[in-house]
Amino acid sequence: MADTAAPPPAVPAPGLPAAPGSNPLSRKLNKILETRLDNDKEMLEALKALSTFFVENSLRTRRNLRGDIERRSLAINEEFVHIFKQVKEELESINEDVQAMSSCCEDMSSRLKAAKEQTQDLIVKTTKLQAENQRLEMKAQVADAFIAKFQLTPDEMNLLRGTKDEPITEAFFKALGRVKQIHDDVKILLRTNQQRAGLEIMEQMALLQETSYERLYRWTQNECRTLTQESCDISPVLAQAMEALQDRPVLYKYTLDEFGTARRSAVVRGFIDALTRGGLGGTPRPIEMHSHDPLRYVGDMLAWLHQATASEKEHLEAMLKLVTVQGVEENIQEVVGHITEGVCRPLKVRIEQVIVAEPGAVLLYKISNLLKFYHHTISGIVGNSAATLLTTIEEMHLLSKKIFFNSLSLHASKLMDKVELPPPDLGPSSALNQTLNLLREVLASHDSSVVPLDARQADFVQVLSCVLDPLLQMCTMSASNLGTADMATFMVNSLYMMRTTLALFEFTDKRLEMLQFQIEAHLDTLINEQASYVLTRAGLSYIYNSVQQHKPEQGPLSNLPSMDSVALKVAMAQFDRYLSAPDSLLMSQLNFLLSATVKEQIIKQSTELVCRAYSELYAAVMDPSNEYKDPETILHRSPHQVQALLS
Amino acid sequence: MRVLIYKTAKQCLLLRFTDDTFDPELAATIGVDFKVKTISVDGNKAKLAIWDTAGQERFRTLTPSYYRGAQGVILVYDVTRRDTFVKLDNWLNELETYCTRNDIVKMLVGNKIDKENREVDRNEGLKFARKHSMLFIEASAKTCDGVQCAFEELVEKIIQTPGLWESESQNRGVKLSNKEEGYGGGGACGGYCSML
Repeated sequence: MADTAAPPPAVPAPGLPAAPGSNPLSRKLNKILETRLDNDKEMLEALKALSTFFVENSLRTRRNLRGDIERRSLAINEEFVHIFKQVKEELESINEDVQAMSSCCEDMSSRLKAAKEQTQDLIVKTTKLQAENQRLEMKAQVADAFIAKFQLTPDEMNLLRGTKDEPITEAFFKALGRVKQIHDDVKILLRTNQQRAGLEIMEQMALLQETSYERLYRWTQNECRTLTQESCDISPVLAQAMEALQDRPVLYKYTLDEFGTARRSAVVRGFIDALTRGGLGGTPRPIEMHSHDPLRYVGDMLAWLHQATASEKEHLEAMLKLVTVQGVEENIQEVVGHITEGVCRPLKVRIEQVIVAEPGAVLLYKISNLLKFYHHTISGIVGNSAATLLTTIEEMHLLSKKIFFNSLSLHASKLMDKVELPPPDLGPSSALNQTLNLLREVLASHDSSVVPLDARQADFVQVLSCVLDPLLQMCTMSASNLGTADMATFMVNSLYMMRTTLALFEFTDKRLEMLQFQIEAHLDTLINEQASYVLTRAGLSYIYNSVQQHKPEQGPLSNLPSMDSVALKVAMAQFDRYLSAPDSLLMSQLNFLLSATVKEQIIKQSTELVCRAYSELYAAVMDPSNEYKDPETILHRSPHQVQALLS
Repeated sequence: MRVLIYKTAKQCLLLRFTDDTFDPELAATIGVDFKVKTISVDGNKAKLAIWDTAGQERFRTLTPSYYRGAQGVILVYDVTRRDTFVKLDNWLNELETYCTRNDIVKMLVGNKIDKENREVDRNEGLKFARKHSMLFIEASAKTCDGVQCAFEELVEKIIQTPGLWESESQNRGVKLSNKEEGYGGGGACGGYCSML
């Protein structure tokens, strides 16, 4: 209950009057008065607490205060103890729990320790094994990769091996490709230190390849053998098979041979069928139905062969389209040649039949051209290899040409055998006309021939010489017994016929020229004949001869017998008659001339000759050395006048 | 399947169809030309063997021999040249004489519609075609117009004509992409029947 707020003064200050405080009571009083209760927090709190239970302020209560306070204090303490007891109990239980946990932990850690010791070994082992596992996995991956790269999967193996009858499929080729690839890739291994593996794998793959190729070959061979229908379908697998087989040239070749053989019999059968049976159901009709029409018959056969050859080539091209080896084109041509070889005999037999039956020169010529054309066309397909078909066609072509020329020659020699007299009109004989018709037909078919130009030209010359030369001979011979004018007329007419016939065709220039020369030669004859005819009929022939042959030693012309003025005057009178009507003095032969142009030419030129003769006569008469008196009375007209009158 | 092309004038139809090329300077056909093309019609693949015959007069004696075995014939004329249209009658006569098959499918094609100065108009061509029971189409090999169509239509008609196409296929299975059917149907049945 001491207050510490105000420090009591220890000694009252000297000099001060005895303050009312020096008295212990006043000291106490002062002390109390000095207590600043406001500042004393504790006091305040105590008083506050007091006021909660001290409600009555009586003496009794003041006296009991201490006891109350102590009692209260006790109660509080009891409460405190009570509460504290609870706390204590809680704490104790916590303590227990913690103890329990602690013991548990200890237990566990001791167990762990024990376990750890036990499992130490295990862990070490496991770690080791895990590491091992990883290594092994790595190895497994490498091994897998190796196998994937250098070995075939079981499926692939099965594909390649296959059973005998299993067909080859696309997958087979993939597998085969793999084998080849592996074989190539494995060479890498040989460079490393894995040589044994490399070699073994190479050997394995090589062996596998051989067996695969063998199988492929058997299958392809079989496939080819079944391609015996007239038109066959080349499956894409077959094309792939050929592509694969190209690496084994021998097998490749054998397969092509097999194909060729199969197709060959198919083509022959097809040809015979087309010839004899025609198509299914009778349409189209068999080719042999038209064997009476040689051109159509031969044409149909050759067209069929052309189509068949082209189809076979196309089959081969489809089959070998994936092959990249050199010389495929030649292979194809060779095989097609082999395939078409089979039809050569039936073809040859039939064409020979046609040719030997002598269907006439024109048909033979057309047939020979047709054969030449097809030779050219088909060699476009089979190349120029010695394909038997081509040689057969060529043989037939030569045969038909030969028989054709034989036929022409025969015709020509028949002409020579019966040389007739020329007809009375001195026109072309019937033999000539017939022959020229024949020639015309032959040449006409030549013009529309399907053979290319250069081949045609060579034939042409031969045909012409085969026909024209004998013809000319015949004409000459048959005219040989005729008189000059008759012969000349006949020859001119015949030659003229020949020329007009030839003029229509190409390549005839040389011959035309020759004929023209011959015509002109005979023309000259006719001109001369006509001129003499006129001079004779006009009475001048003797006179003119005399003039021509007159030599000065003979003396003047007028003294020669029948050359005097009287004779001349008589002759002139005759000549005048001629001058007034020149057309009356035409040889009859001239009217037989076929060509009006030629006739005119003869007349014109012979008239010129007459004029010239007259001029010579005129000059001779006018010549004083010939001693004609008053020559102008003998010859009234001058050469000019005569010319004018006659033109 | 065999198709024949007749031309009364120089045409480049075939090349346009098979190789899809056009060459205006193309030399005239010598004799007969041969090409193969596979086309798809209604989901079926058909392999066409096409024989292109020359238009020139001097080859006319050759061409009848190629009618044999043809299942379709295409007659081509030039719409800008009337004379080629007029000649068609001759060709048809020849066709009737030499072609031994009555149900052959005929198609008339008026070519060169890309050019001006047309001398034969469409109706005339159509009438002619109708008169002779032919299919009709106008085309231009230069611009590609109608060429593919022409061949497709022809093939369709051939396939549809009973007896024309199947008669070829009895022996060897159908030339369509679905092989099994052909083999199963035609060949087997035939064999069995003959044994009975």
